[in-house]
Amino acid sequence: MAATGEMAPASARGQSWRTVVRGLGQTLITAGLVILLFVVYELWWTGFTTKRDQHRLLTQLRQEWAAGKFLADPPLGSGIALLRIPRFGTHYLFVIVQGTSTADLIKGPGHYPGTAMPGQVGNFAVAGHRTTYLHPFYNINQLKSGDPIVLETAKTWFTYTVENIPGTAAKHQEIVSPNDIAVSYPVPDQPDQALKATEKVLTFTSCNPRYSAAQRIVVHALLTNVTAKSAGLPPALAGYTLKQT
Amino acid sequence: MYTWIWRRIPGGIPGKLFGCLVLLFAVLVLLFLVVFPWAGPKLPFNHVTVDGPSTPRPTSSAPAVPN
Repeated sequence: MAATGEMAPASARGQSWRTVVRGLGQTLITAGLVILLFVVYELWWTGFTTKRDQHRLLTQLRQEWAAGKFLADPPLGSGIALLRIPRFGTHYLFVIVQGTSTADLIKGPGHYPGTAMPGQVGNFAVAGHRTTYLHPFYNINQLKSGDPIVLETAKTWFTYTVENIPGTAAKHQEIVSPNDIAVSYPVPDQPDQALKATEKVLTFTSCNPRYSAAQRIVVHALLTNVTAKSAGLPPALAGYTLKQT
Repeated sequence: MYTWIWRRIPGGIPGKLFGCLVLLFAVLVLLFLVVFPWAGPKLPFNHVTVDGPSTPRPTSSAPAVPN
């Protein structure tokens, strides 16, 4: 009898020890599953929500264009132009939104407020996700000198060509530090010459390398063609079957 | 934890299974619609803009034209 009296506390201790270990194991397995789900969310679900936003913005923008609405200062988060890059295939179509906040960029590539609008003298600067959120700039590193980038606005096609910006140190593709704001200046990399801008520049920024925030990848292009939409497709989209949605 | 939940859900085996599915669905909804959208932008691979510490970006003198 004395023996069982001694055994009871020992087995109770073993019982509680088992409970702790089981609880810890379950917690760790749960944490692992949640992290796996988060990866699924980032890589797949964010693309799904961005696709939905893009579809809504595209419908809105076409309605505004049809109604003849032109906003010189569009509200943050609204669509301002359509982006096509033949290098990325005929299915590549994004609505560029106004603004570069987190909330703006989850809807699509975002135009830096205060920089030039499409076709204007200065720098039409756009930031976009390289990964997640439908990753509009996933293959931005594959843009080569001479590649066309086509913007569609209410009444005009603006074709920019990827190239070095004359009179500056800005190459057609640059890897810069995350605080190198000068790439988005009216004259790229020339902070003092904002008022002397003569070129019509387009600049893309995204993260580099993929899945990292260590650097920014930058692509510069110059306006090379302006075609009225009433005159048909611009040369860069010759033979294109336009993706409508 | 899971043992405790399993014991608390009433309704025999079918009821327990159904209860577990409902709980799982509720947790997934909470994660995908609240927790993950909050946590996502805090990760570094979502940073795609160039931002100076406080430098305002000079604007060009070009007038805003409708296009």
